[in-house]
Amino acid sequence: MALLALLATLPWWAGDLYQLHLAALIAAYWILVAGLNLVVGFTGQLSIGHVGLLAVGAYAFAILAGRYEWSPWIALAASGGIGGVCGLLLGLPSLRLPGFYFAMATMAFALIIAELSLALGNLTGGGVGLSVPSFPVPFDTPAGFYLLLLGIAILITWLTWNVARFPWGQALIAIRDNPVAAESVGVPVFRLKLAVFVLSGITAGLAGALFASLQSYITPDTFVFELGLFFFVCIIIGGRGSILGPLLGTAILTALPELVAPLAKLGNLFYGLLLLAVVLLVPEGIGRLFEIWFARLRPKQPASHILQPDTARLAAAIRNGHQP
Amino acid sequence: MSALIAERVTKRFGGLTALDQVSLTVVPGEVHGLIGPNGSGKTTLLNLLSGFYQLDEGDVRLDDEDLSVATVQRRARIGIARTFQQPRLLGTQTVLENAMLGGWRDRRTGLLATAFGLPQVRAEQRMLSERASELLAGLGLAHAVDRRANLLEHAEQRFLEIARALTMRPRFVLLDEPAGGLTGAEIERLGAVIRTLRDCGIGVLLVEHHTEFVFGICDRVTTLNLGSMLCHGTPHQVRNDPEVIRVYLGA
Repeated sequence: MALLALLATLPWWAGDLYQLHLAALIAAYWILVAGLNLVVGFTGQLSIGHVGLLAVGAYAFAILAGRYEWSPWIALAASGGIGGVCGLLLGLPSLRLPGFYFAMATMAFALIIAELSLALGNLTGGGVGLSVPSFPVPFDTPAGFYLLLLGIAILITWLTWNVARFPWGQALIAIRDNPVAAESVGVPVFRLKLAVFVLSGITAGLAGALFASLQSYITPDTFVFELGLFFFVCIIIGGRGSILGPLLGTAILTALPELVAPLAKLGNLFYGLLLLAVVLLVPEGIGRLFEIWFARLRPKQPASHILQPDTARLAAAIRNGHQP
Repeated sequence: MSALIAERVTKRFGGLTALDQVSLTVVPGEVHGLIGPNGSGKTTLLNLLSGFYQLDEGDVRLDDEDLSVATVQRRARIGIARTFQQPRLLGTQTVLENAMLGGWRDRRTGLLATAFGLPQVRAEQRMLSERASELLAGLGLAHAVDRRANLLEHAEQRFLEIARALTMRPRFVLLDEPAGGLTGAEIERLGAVIRTLRDCGIGVLLVEHHTEFVFGICDRVTTLNLGSMLCHGTPHQVRNDPEVIRVYLGA
């Protein structure tokens, strides 16, 4: 709650416009990463090509709201929808592939989108790029747009948190950790993977539209392949099966190199070192550190316990379940 | 009451015939033992019944429905549950969450309803959590519901797999060597659990090495050797069958 209040009032205490822009950028990235987190962190499908879906959303928004002068709100919704459709088209053939090949398929998708954005010059402006309209009053100022992004990011976080904590989330984790067990209880593995992937396409499309409007000008160079790896690394550093972890991962990886000037020069080296440190020291991600802290606060349970079934209670529970 | 039937099923792996024309009927309210030396095809038969392998000949039926080409998920939905030789649990999730996974077939809400946390989703969550908690308490795991599954002792993991299978409200439970790695006292408790399942009308298929345990608890026993059926009957008949003694039990 305090954190939310802090974030909501950021425009009034942030040092300068650049910091505000950075916070807005984190929010835009997080809208994508939150959806991707369900695919990578929960379902264990290693997509490294979501930058392709981000680009699709960005160009869809730039073209619909810019050239065709649609209302930015309708263009935003359309970008999410187009992102979802692209997720469906990409997921249908590729989600049946085993891990490594699936990652390659998503990479290929990102590269194809990058080539198309160059080749379809009369639609995308080719290498010159497109300018992107901003949202109407009161979201046309940096502070207003930041608050819009924050609101959407909170909404998306809430949606993914719901998916994670209800039986769907358990089924997704089962697909990640033990697909055989998931099948044995009747979880339709492919259908769940596809549903979550389409959802991540929608959030990537929305993120693309907002990201484009934030940058106000996009070219194919805005969507380099490394950005797709960056999203993936945010989740791995944050920790699989957590929402807070990848959120921190996104914030830290976006902000640190920008705020600490010497790190900016190091760029990719910084990411590499951080990734190495996390993989070696906390392979379960920084989200896991918080879990361990919380666990320490709880009273310790007795280590050993005699396993003593209560057959009367068991029979009652079974009979109760079998009543129509 | 209808039975789970495997009729003259054959399974080949390349040139090797793992199962040759084996028939077996699991009846509700009965414990059916499946024994035999290593490599005799016990687990292969269990995998054919639960759908993890596709059979080459013969068929598997339940309620007049031909399940020969049905998916694993379809079989789970109509009430065939199983456990695994090596417990297959979600190590990072709690015991309760592992058990609740068995309730997937009773969940009606989709991804969108879940994302918006609609009241039906919450109601389902509560219902499954109550059902799983009761079963865990009945199995003696009440003390561990909030523990991560990878922190459980071996016997507790085995019992948790049974809890997950029971959360499916199954009509048939296929147990793949549930006594493996258990102490004598734990095997006795496992026996009490299996008898309870039987008394509640569940058909149990028990694949097991531990022959004394099988003869003590089963209503009927099938013996396999090298993929063929050696003998089938009551524990008394099977235990005194000269072929079974020669091939498997020893003098």
